Amino acid sequence: MLTRRSAFKAAAGIAATATFGVTQGAYAADMVVKVGINLSYTGADSESATRVANGGILAFEEANKYKEVKGVTFEPVKLDDGTATAGQYDPAQAATNARKMVSDKGYIAALGPQMSGAGKAMSPILSAGNLATITPSSTNPDITDPKFAAQYRPNGKAIYFRTVATDAYQGPNMANYMADVLKVKSVFVLDDSGAYGVGIADSFQAQAEKKGIKVLGRDRLDPKAVDYATILTKIKSMNPDALYYGGVGQAGVKLAKQAYEIIPNVIKAGGDGMQSADLLKGAGFPAVEGWYATVASPHVTDDPKTKDFSDRYFARFNLRPDDYTVTCYTGARVIIEAVKMLVNAGKPVNRDTVRDAIQATKISNTLQGPVEFDENGDLKNKVISVFQIKKDTTKPLDDPDAQYKYVGVAPMA
Amino acid sequence: MTTADLFLQQAINGLSLGAMYSLLALGFTLVYGIMELINFSHFNVFMVGSFVAMVTLQMFGLSGQDTILTGLPLVGVMLVAFLASMTLCGAIGVAIERFLLRPLRAVKGPAAMITTIGVSYVLFNAVLLSIGADSKNFPNPLPPLTFAIGGAVLRLREILIWIISLVLMGGLTYFVQFTRLGKAMRATAQDPEAARMMGVEVDRVVMTAFFVGSALAGASGMIFGLYYNLSKVDIGFAAGLRAFTAAVLGGIGNVPGAMVGGVLIGLIEALSGQVVGTAWTDVIIFGILVLVLVFKPVGLMGRVAPNKS
Repeated sequence: MLTRRSAFKAAAGIAATATFGVTQGAYAADMVVKVGINLSYTGADSESATRVANGGILAFEEANKYKEVKGVTFEPVKLDDGTATAGQYDPAQAATNARKMVSDKGYIAALGPQMSGAGKAMSPILSAGNLATITPSSTNPDITDPKFAAQYRPNGKAIYFRTVATDAYQGPNMANYMADVLKVKSVFVLDDSGAYGVGIADSFQAQAEKKGIKVLGRDRLDPKAVDYATILTKIKSMNPDALYYGGVGQAGVKLAKQAYEIIPNVIKAGGDGMQSADLLKGAGFPAVEGWYATVASPHVTDDPKTKDFSDRYFARFNLRPDDYTVTCYTGARVIIEAVKMLVNAGKPVNRDTVRDAIQATKISNTLQGPVEFDENGDLKNKVISVFQIKKDTTKPLDDPDAQYKYVGVAPMA
Repeated sequence: MTTADLFLQQAINGLSLGAMYSLLALGFTLVYGIMELINFSHFNVFMVGSFVAMVTLQMFGLSGQDTILTGLPLVGVMLVAFLASMTLCGAIGVAIERFLLRPLRAVKGPAAMITTIGVSYVLFNAVLLSIGADSKNFPNPLPPLTFAIGGAVLRLREILIWIISLVLMGGLTYFVQFTRLGKAMRATAQDPEAARMMGVEVDRVVMTAFFVGSALAGASGMIFGLYYNLSKVDIGFAAGLRAFTAAVLGGIGNVPGAMVGGVLIGLIEALSGQVVGTAWTDVIIFGILVLVLVFKPVGLMGRVAPNKS
């Protein structure tokens, strides 16, 4: 008898054969290498996770289709570090996923995680297994900072690579943007008590003070709490020019909603945690109107150079890519190039050689510009882009691509 | 904003929170008063109520905050949404009591309480699977009317929330104090055995307590959505814990105590956020709770029941 589960498996098998049948059939002897794509598919960041993951999946599918690396088939595997209980990324789940990948020799590299809190939990485990990961969006600087090497890469070698800049630039550059472009004189700083949020808010605050912006106060939001009217009323009484929020969507959605009612005329800004479809959906217009958000990568999805990529992506997933889709795609390309280099040089393909090959990456013409890593795994070419939400009624109101307008590059700190 | 305005504004914020907590606390207290059972499924009955209200409002074609209604349509839509969430939540409460807790009533020990925790997670995951974990935009058809009191701002929404809460709490007080069923409830709370001997139908009383408590949670869920313009699968835990604290603070089992406790917790939350910082709110709330219980273990308005020895 066909049980429901086996029926599902059979159906999935048929679908898989339909899609990959040709390549897998013809190259049955291909070496299959697994690449984990660990993002937060459950919870507040699920929309963006899917968008980002698809960037990596597209790169591997195309590499397989065009047989880019002889004798190698890439198998992207989605790993979810979001849990329903946490409502967003869950560091414990991220650690479990990292252990799962490390214990399976089939994994030669990984993409992700999406969130720094997850990255902090994964990095030491990946280091012990010498499994390199390339994060498309986690921007907390500590993970790659040599100061914390004992904690995040006890094995010594860099295994946490980034195709984005870090909050060491995202926060401070936004402070520069506020001071130089928006002429902000005073600011109140909030964070959401997560690794990413606290880090980015700290670095913003330090640079804001350096630039002569008066920091009127600093407080911390509990992302599980629902009422931020109290703190917003307090902020209103201080009458700041701007509010800076370091954090992700879980608190961000509620903050945007309530801030719109209590401090409608204050300039509001956040990091890339406030650059998401979840914010547009959960908080919606008019609450989100005018919010600034930064992205730790150059803004390329409007660039004519990337049009071909966007079209391919849209044809495959019926979605528009965002900038972190591009960084994830680039990360996948780095892995593909690394494996190709090893195969062409006749070297074995395993996680040790792949890590070294990623470290040695030198690609001058990716969609996001030149990609090279320093000895800590950080991207050498760092650009922070600033966006502002401006309602465009001709497009879907929850499409980040349409509602976030690119307003320029934030000045370097 | 002067300091006086600021504190007035925080008092307004706190009263609105308090109204919500009070309604929710009543459900805990009603059930506890009669069965000495802490009903943890109440957390997520509240959450379900919020989603029922959201779906009902959406059925009227409302989405987001763009559509504003006035006059009769506004009253009608709000009434229907309130009735829908209260009735459905009441029904869920009755179902939980009838099918899951009644068979356990004779069982000594924590079995019933653990069952309510289980039900809570079942509700949570059912909503999670059907609706998802992200925040949902709760429709709000209220006109954005505001009144200035000095430098403080009072919104129509807050006034409405206070009025609804007062009406519901007034109705409940009347029900418990003056109706036959209410008297039966009080009698059962005091001594179930004696009440039964006097001809009180205890099963019916317990079921009523669950219905009324859960219906109030449904109303509270709708108020939550109107107040924050948002609903989310995990809202039950934070609000429920505060409300439960409010019930204990006021004296669990005591109806006016739950109301007072809720308002107090709301005010403490707002004022501690202002004076100390929101990062410390929970510490302060639970610190005060511990202090009250140390010096007055039955809560602020609780009395040591004569027959519960």
